[in-house]
Formats: sequence, C-alpha cells, structure tokens
Amino acid sequence: MHIPDGFISVPVAAVTSLASGGALLVSFGRSQTAFGIRRAPVLGLTTAFIFAAQMINFPVAGGTSGHLLGGALAAIILGSPWAGMLCIATVLIIQAVLFADGGITALGANILNMGVIGVWVAWLLTQTLQRFLGGSKARLPLAAGIAAGVSVVVAAMACAIQLAISGTAPVNLVLASMAGVHILIGVGEGLITGGVLAYLATARPDLLPGEEQKFRGWLTPVVGILLVAGVLSLFASAWPDGLEKVAENLGFIDLSEQVRIVVPTPLADYGIQGLGQIGTSIAGLVGAGACFAVAFGIAKVMKPKNA
Amino acid sequence: MLKISLPLRLQLSLIIVIGAAFLKHYAWYNLLVYGAIALLWMGISRVSIRKLGGLLGAEVIFLSLVALPLGWEKASFLMVRSLICLIIMNSFLLTLPPHSFGIALKGLPLPIPLKENLLLAGQYLEILLSEVTRMQRSAQLRGLNGVGGWLRYASAAMIGALYLRTLERAERVYGAMVTRGYNGQLPIDSTLTAKERFTLIAVGIVVTCITLSSYTMPI
Repeated sequence: MHIPDGFISVPVAAVTSLASGGALLVSFGRSQTAFGIRRAPVLGLTTAFIFAAQMINFPVAGGTSGHLLGGALAAIILGSPWAGMLCIATVLIIQAVLFADGGITALGANILNMGVIGVWVAWLLTQTLQRFLGGSKARLPLAAGIAAGVSVVVAAMACAIQLAISGTAPVNLVLASMAGVHILIGVGEGLITGGVLAYLATARPDLLPGEEQKFRGWLTPVVGILLVAGVLSLFASAWPDGLEKVAENLGFIDLSEQVRIVVPTPLADYGIQGLGQIGTSIAGLVGAGACFAVAFGIAKVMKPKNA
Repeated sequence: MLKISLPLRLQLSLIIVIGAAFLKHYAWYNLLVYGAIALLWMGISRVSIRKLGGLLGAEVIFLSLVALPLGWEKASFLMVRSLICLIIMNSFLLTLPPHSFGIALKGLPLPIPLKENLLLAGQYLEILLSEVTRMQRSAQLRGLNGVGGWLRYASAAMIGALYLRTLERAERVYGAMVTRGYNGQLPIDSTLTAKERFTLIAVGIVVTCITLSSYTMPI
C-alpha cells in the first residue's frame, strides 16, 4: 500500500501532506498528555516492532504478498489512537527516508492512509465491536482482529482514490483491484493482530486497556451507521421500490425522463458510475457522512445559548 | 566520497527526489536532466554498483507490478521517474555509516516528539534484532528445526513473546539512558554551516527551475 514517488500528483501530495501534518500536530499534544515521557520505551519499541513486522511479507493469492500494517495493534497496545498515529507515522518516515519504501513525496498520502485512516478506523471499530460483544477484556482480540482487517481495506480504498484523483489509474480499475487484494491482506492482518493481542492478554494483561468503558456516547451509533451505510448497503436489493414498480406497471415511468431541468449528481441511484458494488458502499458512506454533518450543523445552530 | 556531512547529504537527496517526483507527466527531457543528476549523485556518493543494482532490481520488480497494468506509455514514464528517485535515495542509504541514521535524521526539520520516537525506534531495532537471534538460537538448541521451521516465527505467540522480551530489555536500556542524562535529544550537533546552507539553497533553486519548466514547456 506504500505509494512510491511519482505516482501521485502535486495537488494530491500537497493536500494529503497538509491533512496528515495537521493530524500529527494534534497527535503530538494528545499523545504527550495521554502517554508522557515515562512510557517512551513502549512507544519507541512498538514503533520498532511494527517496522520489523512490516518487513515480513506473507503470501496472498495471485502471486502478491502483504504485510502487517499494525495500526490497530499500535493503537491498542499504546491505549491511544493519537500515540498509534505517531507510531505508524514514524515507521513510514523511516521506511521512506532510509529504505526508499514508499515515496518521499507520497509520505503525506501514506501517513494519511495508514497512520490516520488505518489507525482511527481500527480504533473506532474496535471500541464499537467490543461494546457489541459485551465489553469484556477477553473479547478484545476478536474485536481488534475484525477491526484491523476492515481498517486495511478502508486504507487501501483511500489509497486507490488518491491514485485515481492523481490521474495515475482509472478509478474503477484501481479501486476494485486494491480492495480485492487488501481484503485478503486484511484477513492476515486480523489474524495476526487478534493472535498477538490474545497472547499479550494472557502473558502481560497489564499492557492492554482494562475493563473500564472508554466509549463515548456518540461513538456506537455513528460507527454503526457508517457500517450499515458502507458494508450492509452492498447487500441492498436491486429491485425497484414500490412507486417505481407501480409506475412501471401503469406505464408512466418514462415521464421521469421528460423533465426539463436535470441536476447532475455523482451519486445517482446510490452508486458511482463504473464502480459497481464498491460505488454503492462509497455512496452510502458519503451520504451517511453528509447527513451527520447537516444534522450536527443544525443542532449547533438551534442549540440554546445557555445549553 | 566527497566530504559532505550526513545531514547535508540527506537533505540534498530529499530535495532532488522531490523535484524529480513532481515532474509533469511525459516531460522526458526534464527527466533526462534528473537522470544525469542521479548518475552524478551516484558517482559522488561512490556507491557500490553491485549493491545498488541488487536493490534496484528488487524494487523495479515491485514497481513494474504496480505500473504495467496502466499501459506501456504511462508505465514507462512512471517507472523511469520512480527509478531515478530510488537511485538518488539508495545512493545515500547504501553509503550511510552504521548507527548514524539518527544523526542524519536529526538534521531534518521535524517536530521533537517525532524525532525522539525516531531515535528510540532506531535504538530499539537493534535490540529487537538481537532478541530474534537469541530466540532462533534457543529454538535450534531445543532441536526445533526442519523445513516448516519458518512457520514458528510467523505464529502470533512467537510475535507476542518477541514483543515482551524486547520490551523488558528496551525498558532497561531506556532507564540506563535516562540515568546517563538522556533527555530526548542526541548529544551531537547536526546544524549546517553557512557554506552548506548556501549549497542547499543553490541546489534547491536549480531543482525548482527544472521541475517548474516541465509545466511551462510544451511536451
């Protein structure tokens, strides 16, 4: 998933660098308060450990191979997604600067995909799944394993979108192939993450977060909505709804083609042209995000001043 | 090799890589100039051609897997451009003295928490590797060999055990570092001299001109 030099355009490199730079700046402050100097060896070692683990490729079908990303593992062992971001960003800087693995100019994009999106998707999903599974420490490896696998696929899709925006490859080709390969890599990521956490939970339970609930009230519904919009939307029925069926039967369905003004929308029919089912998933995520943003904005505007 | 300090070598490599990577698509003449610069950089660094060739060979296989499905014309430009970037970075890396990447990285304008983590990660990588060797030796002494021996190292319990063993040593090392006065900074100076700054600015201007000209000239 490491984008090499020359594969993304200048605007994409600039925007992703700004986004990941901003996220890292916030993480410096947050991880320092959450972590402190006393636990510096844990952060340093986890970084070294994930760097070493990324060097071991495991075979994936079709002659390709994958390796651990470690975003979920880092965030959970360190107990903070902010420290996890710092850890993965450091790994990516070492790889880009010293091992020419991932481009210098694509560093911002790589940090955004693996260090920000990968870590946060894994962290939020772990917390949500653990709550759904009962919230006990024993279920953490299972929740984290599933979350780690999903986070790899989401990060790969973000990478594919950046390559498509840069004009390097057509979106339907790159998105489908990246998602396809990374589903298999995600299975490996999930197994390793879950297995390592299961071992650590037995050998050194003090290293892992405790039984206390760290969840925020909004987290479960928001992640649940995104899961439904992004994953379950893939299984939505392709049959026409009630009105469309009646219109077809009574012969007035063609009237919709005769409207004078047509507003072009990129997400028509809950999909993106040429992307098939992945397009439905992206449309679902964009829609859910937009609805949340609008509802959040209205709530902010309507909120009484003394609330 | 010319006497160029590590921080300056790293920063020059980065500037040239950024310039080459941001060239406009199909700007072959400008890419040719960067190719010449890469060869010059390779000569100045006096990198071993055999080592560089071996490393580039493996990297080109990966690049071709990514680029070839995009069509020959596009893939050839992307691959040559990426190859030039790889030659420049690898010429620096393969001539980097051992244990000194911390010094090179210290010269980069990075925030302190990131630098500290980079330095500690580099420090602990050596501990991690030595623990891997010790675990391998223990396995051999217990007679755990055979064709499928590699599977043992891929097991989650082994990876977890490696993490815990290394963590214990890393904590001891960190304690010793703090006792000796470590405060998150390397006890060396890596600031550039006035002459080095001038070289860096001059190279930066040349690189900017080459890259910008690819956007203004017709291809």
